[in-house]
Amino acid sequence: MSIVDLTSMGESQAELREEINDRLSRLQDEVSDYCFQCAKCTSGCEAHKLLELEPHKVVALLKRGLIDELVNSDVIWTCMSCFKCRERCPQKKVAPVDILFALKNMAVASGKQIPGKYTGMLQSILSIGLIQETQSVITRDNKTNKREDLGLPAISKPVDAAKFQMVLSKLAVEKV
Amino acid sequence: MKKYALYPGCVMPTEQYAYELSIRETFPLLDIELVDLEGFSCCGEPMKSVNQLMTLYLSARNLAIGEKQDIDLFVPCPMCHLALSECKHVMENNVEMRDRVNGMLVSEDLQYKGSVDIVNTVDLLHDHIGVDQIEKHVRKPLDGLKIATHYGCHLIRPSEIGRPVDSENPQKMETVLKILGAEPLDYAEKLDCCGAPILANLPESALTKTGQKLQRVQEQGFDVFVDVCPWCHRMFDSKQVKAGETVASKLEVPVVYLTQLLGLAFGVKKEKLGLDLNLSPVDKLKIGD
Repeated sequence: MSIVDLTSMGESQAELREEINDRLSRLQDEVSDYCFQCAKCTSGCEAHKLLELEPHKVVALLKRGLIDELVNSDVIWTCMSCFKCRERCPQKKVAPVDILFALKNMAVASGKQIPGKYTGMLQSILSIGLIQETQSVITRDNKTNKREDLGLPAISKPVDAAKFQMVLSKLAVEKV
Repeated sequence: MKKYALYPGCVMPTEQYAYELSIRETFPLLDIELVDLEGFSCCGEPMKSVNQLMTLYLSARNLAIGEKQDIDLFVPCPMCHLALSECKHVMENNVEMRDRVNGMLVSEDLQYKGSVDIVNTVDLLHDHIGVDQIEKHVRKPLDGLKIATHYGCHLIRPSEIGRPVDSENPQKMETVLKILGAEPLDYAEKLDCCGAPILANLPESALTKTGQKLQRVQEQGFDVFVDVCPWCHRMFDSKQVKAGETVASKLEVPVVYLTQLLGLAFGVKKEKLGLDLNLSPVDKLKIGD
């Protein structure tokens, strides 16, 4: 099963979207109760200076229910998931990083283009259980080495690939 | 001798071989037996932006494989360590979710009960083995080596999940390095992110983050930059030249894994620690055989 199949299953995707919507509603209730827009999250944000991510504004938009606007914005994909915003929130209750994960999940479930190499990683997990195959690496003096050349044991991966794939493929579309 | 199953994750066993080599070489010297188990998969953390339930399922699956063999997991990658820690946290606090995930695990004849512990490189060395034990094995002290440490964001936050080191002032690597004779020093950029999590979709920006941090490390005159994360190490070591280009700077910072320095201090030969695989200028260090 490819990623195209996974993201085009209309019915199941609707259920997945519903679940993520519930998650976003819960987060919305939380931020409405607790966030007072002190912007401490933005002051420490690793993606702020470089990519103009402003976590406190993401929170403010969620508070107003502007979820579609957020889901359709490229800025949600600039988060580096460093977790400083969640760690440093003076209310200990607001986690912009988790809001951003939910928004990105929603973008994917809504059939939006998955950016960059995420698709490749997901396909690799589905087929071999790992985000990539073992790579050949070079030494400082330009010799090529494979994993087995270095005396390392065989890599650990799912034993029954078919069973592993079955659950995982279902999971990508199933109602949570 | 304490036994752990080595949970390798993805990045370490598919390309960051120096970390795995130096782990397999050093921990047995400290009376830790490492066991290899079949069947592990990705921890799911790299897929969190795509589908969080997939992350949870994959983590639970790996924990359940350890449980089946009744063995605790040594998880050297901070990203995997966070995914597995968060999974334990969710499964303990959300019975409904645990039942649901267990329902899916049945097809691979697995079940999550929550009976295994997980450790990372840093807490295994600092909390479980302890510096007294480490000190006994030092043959070639790293005298006066000025070290900048980098823990990796996923190892230190979010503390609410339970992380092995302090979220704002991590010092466990420093304590270990001091016992090896080195001189670790704090610096303003110590908690800065390496940029790796956006390498998949915004590679230029990711490398700029790497370059900015290393540039400051270089300017402050450190001898070596020490990390414990295969994702971070890929940025700081493997991609150092490219990272330098993004900040218009010629970077020449030796970058090594903590376990490689540990091995050198124990008198282990360089090739056994995979030091020829580091692409940063580690020859500048003039330590080891």
